[in-house]
Amino acid sequence: MAALAAQPAAVPVAGGTDLMCGVNAGRLRPAALIGLGRLKELRGWEYQDGHALLGACLTHARMGRPDFAVLMPGLAAAARAAGPPQVRNAGTLGGNIVTAAAAGDTLPVLAALEAGLLVSGARKGDREIPVSHLLAGRDRLRAGELLTHVRVPLLHAPQTFLKATGRTGPGRATASVAVVLDPARREVRCAVGAIASIPLRPLDAERWVASLVDWDGKRGLAPDVLTAFGEYVAMACIPDPDPERGQGGELPPAMLHLRRTVAALARRGLGRALS
Amino acid sequence: MTEPRTEGPAAGGGSVGGTVTVTPAGAAPGTAEGAAPDGPPHGIGASVPPADAEAKACGVYPYTADLWAEGLLWAAVLRSPHPRARIKGIDTAPAEAMPGVQAVVTHRDVPVAGATLGRRVADRPPLASDAVRYHGEPIAAVAADHPDTARLAAAAIAVDYETQEAVTDPEQAFAAGPLHPDGNVLRHIPLRHGDASAVGEVVVEGLYRIGRQDPAPIGAEAGLAVPRLDGGVELYTAATDPHTDRDLLARCLGLEADQVKIYVTGVPGACADREDPGVQLPLALLAMRTGSPVKLAATREESFLAHPHRHPTLLRYRHHAGRDGKLVKVEAELLMDGGAYADDSAEALAAAVSFAAGPYVVPNAVIDGWVVRTNNPPSGHLRGEGALQVCAAHEAQMDRLAAELGLDPVTVRERNVLATGDVLPIGQTVTCPAPVRELLAAVKEAPLPPLPKELPPEDWLLPGGPEGAGEPGAVRRGVGYALGMVHMLGAEGTDEVSTATVKVEGPVATVLCSAVDTGQGFATLARQIVQEVLGVDEVRVAPVDTDQPPAGPGARGRHTWVSGGAVERAAKMVRTQLLQPLASKFGMSPELLEIADGKITSYDGVLSTTVAEELEGKELWATAQCRPHPTEPLDATGQGDAFVGMAFAAVRAVVDVDVELGTVRVVEVALAQDVGKLLNPRQVRARIEAGITQGVGAALSEHLRVARGTVRRPDFADYALPTALDVPHIRIVALLEERDVVAPFGAKSVSAVPVVVTPAAIAAAVRAATGRPVNRLPIRPQTAAVTGPA
Repeated sequence: MAALAAQPAAVPVAGGTDLMCGVNAGRLRPAALIGLGRLKELRGWEYQDGHALLGACLTHARMGRPDFAVLMPGLAAAARAAGPPQVRNAGTLGGNIVTAAAAGDTLPVLAALEAGLLVSGARKGDREIPVSHLLAGRDRLRAGELLTHVRVPLLHAPQTFLKATGRTGPGRATASVAVVLDPARREVRCAVGAIASIPLRPLDAERWVASLVDWDGKRGLAPDVLTAFGEYVAMACIPDPDPERGQGGELPPAMLHLRRTVAALARRGLGRALS
Repeated sequence: MTEPRTEGPAAGGGSVGGTVTVTPAGAAPGTAEGAAPDGPPHGIGASVPPADAEAKACGVYPYTADLWAEGLLWAAVLRSPHPRARIKGIDTAPAEAMPGVQAVVTHRDVPVAGATLGRRVADRPPLASDAVRYHGEPIAAVAADHPDTARLAAAAIAVDYETQEAVTDPEQAFAAGPLHPDGNVLRHIPLRHGDASAVGEVVVEGLYRIGRQDPAPIGAEAGLAVPRLDGGVELYTAATDPHTDRDLLARCLGLEADQVKIYVTGVPGACADREDPGVQLPLALLAMRTGSPVKLAATREESFLAHPHRHPTLLRYRHHAGRDGKLVKVEAELLMDGGAYADDSAEALAAAVSFAAGPYVVPNAVIDGWVVRTNNPPSGHLRGEGALQVCAAHEAQMDRLAAELGLDPVTVRERNVLATGDVLPIGQTVTCPAPVRELLAAVKEAPLPPLPKELPPEDWLLPGGPEGAGEPGAVRRGVGYALGMVHMLGAEGTDEVSTATVKVEGPVATVLCSAVDTGQGFATLARQIVQEVLGVDEVRVAPVDTDQPPAGPGARGRHTWVSGGAVERAAKMVRTQLLQPLASKFGMSPELLEIADGKITSYDGVLSTTVAEELEGKELWATAQCRPHPTEPLDATGQGDAFVGMAFAAVRAVVDVDVELGTVRVVEVALAQDVGKLLNPRQVRARIEAGITQGVGAALSEHLRVARGTVRRPDFADYALPTALDVPHIRIVALLEERDVVAPFGAKSVSAVPVVVTPAAIAAAVRAATGRPVNRLPIRPQTAAVTGPA
C-alpha cells in the first residue's frame, strides 16, 4: 500500500493475463507496475457474517476447485469456463473485475450476487463499492486505491453460469447468463454478460419469475414458464428497435440470433438452478 | 491393385482421435513396421520417427527466434495502420534521434529503385513509397540495440497519410479505380468445356461464401541477417522456398545471387509460404547499413497482418443433371479476393477453376473465375488453396441435387464419380489412379459412432463443452459426405525440378537437398529412402542453404514427389558405384545383387557380404535431379494439361448441433484417401490428423475478421483455432495403395486433401442435422440454429 501511495500512477499487477497483453502490444505504458504476487493474504478467502471475503488475487484455477464450488457454485462455474488452464492458473478475480472486459466471465455472476468490492487506499481509508457501480463507472477506483477483497453473500442455494462461445474448447463468450437463487429473500437474480459493456440485470423478469417459484416446496417450474422467463430476459436485454427514438425496422439477423441465444441460456440456466 | 486398409486393433498412443495400426499388407517382409523386432524402424513403409522429434518435444530445438550473434541489433518494422492511403511524406528524424537507434530504412534506402517483390507476379514494393494498400503493409524498419527501443522508434516515425476509401468488397473491385498501376483484375479464367448450351432436366443453384483462414503458424515470423565482408548478406530464416527468396532479395539489393545466402533454420509450423521477402529485405538492408547482425522477431499481431491468408471466395453455382442424377453441365462463377498484391493468386485461381466441378464426370462446363485486387489482408498459398473453396461449394450442390431428386447424397455421388481415364473440365485426362468410387464406398460402410444415449451421461461431450450450455434435448445429430481432390505438381507449366546429393562416408550417409522440412516430414522421408536403397542405418540430412541447388517451394507436398525422387535417384547412383566393383569381381551384372537388411546378396546366394564391410573406407557420392513430365498453362478457354498427379479423398463427418444456440461439435471425421503407397504410416496418419484439424477450423471457427480493410483483434483470443476439445475422433477408414506409376515409389502426398474435403463434409453434416442451407464457411451459429415456432 505504501508503494501505491508513493506512486499513485503505478498499476497493480497480479496474473497479468490482460494487462501484460496490452503492455506488450504497446497499447498501455504504465509508469510503474506493482506486483501483488507476494501478498499471500489476497490469495485466499475468509468468512464474515454470512458473507465470504474473497481475496482479489484468488486465481480462476483456485475458484474452480470443488471446495470453492460448494460455497459459490456460480463463481466456480464461471472460473472453470474462463479460458485455457494456463490463463486460469494466472488470471485472478480482482484482475477480471478491474479489467472489466465485456466478456469477463466472473462479472455476470458477481452482478447477480450483488457483490461488494472492498477497496483500500492510503489516503481515504477503506470503503466498499457495489460491483455494478464500479463496472458502470458510477464509482471508480481512485489513484492509489487497490481492490483487495470481494464480498459475496453465502446463499446456500443453486447458482448457474452458462455461456455461448464459438467453439467447444474455451473461448470468449458471445453471451453468458448467470442465475442465482436467494431463498432467504425469495429472490431470483439473473445477469447477462458479454452482450453489452457491463452485465445487464433484467429486474422485471427476475421479480416476475421469483413470484412463481414455490420457495418452500419443490422449486421446479413448468417448461413454458422457463421459456417465458428466457424470452423476458432476452427482450429486456436486447429490445426491439424503438421507432420513437428514431430506430426503425427489424433487428439484424445476428442480433436476433444473439437474443435467441440469451433466451436459451436464461431458460436453461434457471431450469438447472431450480431442478 | 487396390487394397483397402481397415481400422485394426488399437495400438498404444492415446491421442484425441482413435488409434489405428496400418500394417503394410503388400510390402515385403523386413521393411514392415514391427517386422524388424531387433532394430529401429528402417526404410520405406516403416514408421521412422523424425530425427528432431525429441529436441522439439523437449523445447530445446533452436528456432530462428532463438538465434543470437555477437553485437546483435534488434529490428522493428513500421506497418501501415490504414488499409488504403497515399503517403505524402515520411519523416524518420524522430526515430533517428532516439538514443540506441542505429539505423532507419525506408523505400529511399532500397538500392534498386522501383524494384518489386512477389513470388509469381512481382508487383509489391519492398517498402511502401507513395501508397499503402493493406493494413500492415511495411513502410520502414529500425535497428536498435534493444527490441523495445526499436519498436518505440518505429512508432515514432512520422508518416503523413492521406487516407482513401478502401476497396474491400471484391465485387466492387471491378468498377473501382485502380488500386495499383497493374489494375484490379489479377486474373480471369473463362473455362469452356463441351457444349455450353446443354441443359439438364433438373437444375439446382447456390451461392456460397468462404472465409479468410489464417495459417496461424505456432512460431511467428523471425529472421537474423549478418552482413558479409564482400558486401553481401547472409540470412537465417525459416524460409520455405529459400532460392526464390534469395533471388528476389538480390534483385532488390542490386547484388549478384551468390552474394545473398539464406540458411534455413528450423521451421516452426508452415502450411503457407513463410518468411516472405517483405520481412527479409528490411533485415538485409539494416544489416548492410549498420555492419552488425540484425534480428527481427515479429509479434503475433504483425504475423496475423503480414502473412498470406486463404482467399475469401464468393461462388455462384448452377448444376444441371438428368432425372437419373447424372451431371449434364456445371456453370459457376468464382470470385476470389486476392488482397492488395498478386503473389500466388493466379495459381490458386487455376486450381479453383480446374477443380470447380469436383471429382465427378462433367461433360459440359462453363466456369468463370476471377481473382481481384482489394485493400484486404494479403491472400496467397495456404494448404489446398483454391481447391478447398470450390470443394465446399460443389459438395453443397451435390447435396442440393440429391434433395431435389429425392436421392441419397451418396447415391448421387456414386453415379457421377471420376475414375482413371475420365476427362476433367480443363480437358486433361486423369492418368493417375483415381479410386474415388472405392473411397466413397469405404467411408459409407464404416460404422457410425455411438449416439449419446448409448453412452453413460458422464461421457457426453455436447456442443458447448464439458459443463457447458449444451442441453441433450436440443442436440441433433447429422451425417454428411464429401469428396474432393487436389493437384500435387505442375501448376501450369512451372518447372518442378529438384536436385539432391547423396554422400556415403563409411557407415554414414548424408543427404544434401534444399527441400525444406516444414514439418511435413521430408527429412524423415529422405532418410527412409536412403536406408531403403543403400541398406545403411545412419542417414543424416544436411541443413538447407542456398548454396545447394534449388528444390523449389514446399507446397502441396511436392517434395514427396520431386525431392523424394531426386534423393532416390542419387541413392541409386551411389548404389551402383558400390555394387559395380563387387559385380565385376564376381563376373555378374550389378542388377543381380540385392541389398536388404544391411546385407548384399547375389541372386543365387553365392555372394553374401554386409553393406558396412563394403563401404569401409570409401567415400561415394552422386547428385541427381527429378523433373516430372512438363505441363502447359491453361489456354484462353481454360483448357490444358496443367497438372501432374492428383490426390483424392472421401470424408464422412458426424456432427452434433445444439439447434437453439447454433453451436456445433464435430463428433467424428471418417476419411478414406488414396495415398499411392504408404511410405511412413505414422507420419501419414499425423499429416491426415493435422489436415482434418485445420479443416475443422476452416469449417467452424477460423476467420480473420476485417472491418473496412482493418484487421480486428489479430490474436488467438479472437481468432479461434480448434482446441483439443474441438478436434473430433478421427477414423482413418482406408488408405488405398494404388501405385501412381510415374511417381517415385508410386506415392502421393497426403497433407493437402484432408484439409480440402473436411470443411465440405462438416457443412453437409450440419445441413443434415438442421435442415438449413449452410452456404457459408466458417459456419456461423445463426446458420446452424433452427428458429423455433416462437
